[in-house]
Amino acid sequence: MRNIESRKYVIALIFVLVSIIFTTRLFYMQVVDEQWKERAAQISENKITTYPARGIVYDRNKEKIISNEIYYDIHVIPANAKDVDSVELVKLLDISMEEYTKKMNQARNYSMKKSSELVRQIPPSEFAEVAPHLYKFPGFYEVARTLRMYPKKVGAHLLGYMNEVNDRDIERMPYYKSGDFIGRSGIERAYEEVLRGTRGVKYLLQDAVGVTTGSYEGGKYDTLALQGKKITISVDWILQEYGEKLMRNKLGSVVAIEPKTGEILAMVSSPGYDPNLLVGRRLGENYGKLEQDTLLPLQNRATNSSYPPGSTFKTIMALIGLQEGVLTTESSFPCTKSLVGCHNHPTARGISDAVKMSCNPYFYYVGKKIIQQGKKKSHFADAAIGLDIWAKYVESFGIGQDLHVDFPGLVRGHVPNTDYYNTEFPSKSNPYGEFAWAYSTIYSNSIGQGEVLVTPLEMANVAAIIANRGHYYYPHFIKEIEDSDIPEIYRQKNKSMVDPEHFDQVIDGMWRVVHEAGGTARRARVDSLNICGKTGTAENFRIINGKREQFTDHSIFMAFAPKDDPQIAISVYIENSGFGGTWAAPLASLMIEKYITGEVKDTVKENRILNADLIPNWSNIVKKKK
Amino acid sequence: MRQTGDNIFSNVDWALFGIYLILVFLGVTNIYSASYSPEHSGIFDLGSEHGKQLMWFGISIFFGIIILFLESSFIRKYSYAVYGVTCFLLAGVLFTPAVNGAHSWFGIGGFGIQPSEFAKLGVALALAQLLDQTKGQMIGRQRSRTSMGLSNLWGLVPFIQQNFRIVLVIGLPAILILLQPDAGTFIVFTAFILVLYREGYAGNILLFMIIAVIVAVITLIVSDNSFILPGLKIKLTGKTGIVLTLLLFGLIFYLLIRSFVLPRNRKTLYRALFGSLLISILFVNFIEWGYSSILQPHQKERIDLTLGKIDDPDGKGYNINRAKAAIGSGGFLGKGYRQAVLANAEQRHVPMQSTDFIFCTWSEERGFIGSFFLVILYTIMLIRMVVIAERQRSRYTRVFAYSVACIFFYHYMINVGMAIGLAPVIGIPLPFFSYGGSSLLSFSMLLFILLKLDSERKIVLQ
Repeated sequence: MRNIESRKYVIALIFVLVSIIFTTRLFYMQVVDEQWKERAAQISENKITTYPARGIVYDRNKEKIISNEIYYDIHVIPANAKDVDSVELVKLLDISMEEYTKKMNQARNYSMKKSSELVRQIPPSEFAEVAPHLYKFPGFYEVARTLRMYPKKVGAHLLGYMNEVNDRDIERMPYYKSGDFIGRSGIERAYEEVLRGTRGVKYLLQDAVGVTTGSYEGGKYDTLALQGKKITISVDWILQEYGEKLMRNKLGSVVAIEPKTGEILAMVSSPGYDPNLLVGRRLGENYGKLEQDTLLPLQNRATNSSYPPGSTFKTIMALIGLQEGVLTTESSFPCTKSLVGCHNHPTARGISDAVKMSCNPYFYYVGKKIIQQGKKKSHFADAAIGLDIWAKYVESFGIGQDLHVDFPGLVRGHVPNTDYYNTEFPSKSNPYGEFAWAYSTIYSNSIGQGEVLVTPLEMANVAAIIANRGHYYYPHFIKEIEDSDIPEIYRQKNKSMVDPEHFDQVIDGMWRVVHEAGGTARRARVDSLNICGKTGTAENFRIINGKREQFTDHSIFMAFAPKDDPQIAISVYIENSGFGGTWAAPLASLMIEKYITGEVKDTVKENRILNADLIPNWSNIVKKKK
Repeated sequence: MRQTGDNIFSNVDWALFGIYLILVFLGVTNIYSASYSPEHSGIFDLGSEHGKQLMWFGISIFFGIIILFLESSFIRKYSYAVYGVTCFLLAGVLFTPAVNGAHSWFGIGGFGIQPSEFAKLGVALALAQLLDQTKGQMIGRQRSRTSMGLSNLWGLVPFIQQNFRIVLVIGLPAILILLQPDAGTFIVFTAFILVLYREGYAGNILLFMIIAVIVAVITLIVSDNSFILPGLKIKLTGKTGIVLTLLLFGLIFYLLIRSFVLPRNRKTLYRALFGSLLISILFVNFIEWGYSSILQPHQKERIDLTLGKIDDPDGKGYNINRAKAAIGSGGFLGKGYRQAVLANAEQRHVPMQSTDFIFCTWSEERGFIGSFFLVILYTIMLIRMVVIAERQRSRYTRVFAYSVACIFFYHYMINVGMAIGLAPVIGIPLPFFSYGGSSLLSFSMLLFILLKLDSERKIVLQ
């Protein structure tokens, strides 16, 4: 009997044991394991993101150049959408019946009670017509969102555009969520993180089918969206607008820099487009059209093209020669046209003369003196050493270098060095090879026509270096960021390898280019502004029907002004328009005058440029061989 | 044996009654929170679940007082009659229209009655009466002495042969309930095995049950898997693996017996070993077959979910996942009364939050502290019932008391176990806590009859 009596303990033990198991499990679930709290939040809470307005962008004169505008998305809750006159709705929203049916089916499949997007980004002007009729369609309502608005139809390349993030972006940058917008180019991209602001979060409670039932804990954890920071960029919007006006019907670019600071004053790429085209529901459509355009309006020629610098490069050659001590300011060389072609002009008696007259053979000799310094017996070995010395100098003028510009997608120019001719040129599979070339092979570089390539931005920077007599600041757009400083790197002075005292004669030559009879850019003269400049023409080739054809030269002008207190340095490239003094120089002078004096007096010059249509017709512009 | 002189309330176990009141009170407040709707926020609003629960509490108290005024001899006398009526009702309910696929409700006006809730009472009374009459026959002990258990289905076969009436009393309503079908309540009937265990029957059955559950769980976990025998490139199914393991154990035991047991005792042990091996192998096959052929798909799913074979938090595992999230998110102190965001009538993330999953609302709002308090409360109640049972001189009352304790224990174990993911989802109520008139009334009657029988423990001279 004792045996059976003791069974009461077994039973009591079973009861207690189960309770102990329960207690342990409950303790683990409720106190130790956090996953159920997260799970509960995931189930019961609906995290609503509120989007901040993007930061406003101002120009250097505090003019608003990018602002925001409220656009409207139309959403639908299928369960509430009853007795809808779809024909009328489709007409009102300006969408096709197929699209409407497709979107509605998607919405129904997603959820009958939750809202889905039907139409996105109706601009305010169009929404004004939609709004008064929307009440007729129960279940359909508008959701506001802010998008970019550009008060002036200017600076599309510079400002850049935005579009929705794709899956790859989201994977790469976890901050972004589907439906977010991101700056794709220009300032919008460069300052994306400053401009985008901080998203806000609202926690709502939802029931089992996802319908909101109230705010979570009275909104204790909600945060407000913070608008992106205001930024001020260094561009002068009046100058920018003027530049774009002047460049109408021309291909090319204008870049202007303030030499004292490295601030970019204007950056024009032509043809441009209205930046408002790439905002809103027609973005994709418009982008496609721009992409198809044969004149490549989407390409930023100021930063994404590199050209041979042409004669503008002679200024750098002269400076290197002086610094290296291979010539003096009085050095004179004959205009030996058998070496390299030239136009008729008096003999250059010194560097100033040579720059003014842009004598090709003169700089052939300068190049030869720099590159063949006679340090080695072998001509080839000597050239190899000399070229590398030369390349270092050229690079110190920022060409082919990282200029730390706050702008995405910059292309760099190119400075050929010994290694380049040994292993890469003319092609990687069949290069010249070591000690197989000398100055006589590469002399065209000395007049800016060889393998040297410079981008318009770099060219403007070279103008700034000359204006500053040897130093420069990295070109940049940023002038002010709300609540923070601009990067230290833009205050740092960078020196070229040429000492200041060597600049005077070159600058003098550049002044005479504009001001004296026999100068190559007399059209650029503006009284009292003391513009110093150098023209250039860049030969260029295109493959047409499998044949390498030479086209009309690019017209180039590089300048700064005034001579003694430079306020602006500029480079102008006008593609296939011929001699630099004809178009690029007067255009640059108009820009300089506009910037310094605020108005242009010489309306004849202005109208000549405004009315010129220099867009080449590809089939007709093959340069007639002499 | 008439009660003379004393007040009928004087010997009532107030501790148990107090726990009952606390549970019902907490239960009603919890239902109020779980099923709150602004339209029915009045405390006595009969359109609300808490209002109905209060009404059923009143009815329960009314019947409870009647029971307390009855004579215990009267209760004993009509034990079989009550059993008969519940069996009759169980048979009758099979002919009613199905609600949710089961024939388990008699609709009376706006209220429904579930005879299966009362069948537990009937069986408890009838079993008490039956065992009381057969007292003195120490069948269990004789059996356990004469056979070694293992060789004859661990005593199950002789048990059924010798105690046919006990099996019938429990089995008949159990089968009728299974026909509804209501697997949950059916499982509760296995609670009576614990009672029989206490009464000296079937000592091995308890052990057998525990081992069987373990083997069944292992079988179900590995049955879908297959593995490659180490060293050999033979692919085996999970079932083959179990059978091989069992054979291996058999071999080990055989060797142990041969080495350590006297030769004269070996024969019995060999028989026992062979018998249990055979039964185990048959059982493994039966479990697998039963699992795939007898169980309905949703039952299989629930078992798979508990075993962790399915992980589908928003599909098949929706209920249990929401229940666990509600409980787990309660934290240490809970979200506060009426602050549940998962287990409430507005959000409705946890289904059946006022009936089967009532524990979720409680745990979410009261946290671990509250859950622990409730677990302690139920444990005290169960232990109190064991204490009451053990102080009886009447076998009738003792059997009945154990029946009540075991029924409550099963409900508590399965209901809470399911909410916290330790047991498969089986829809049975938490005593005194879940919303439901029939269950509250039947649980109350079990409790009041126990209180009544206990109050007469001193004058019942047996």
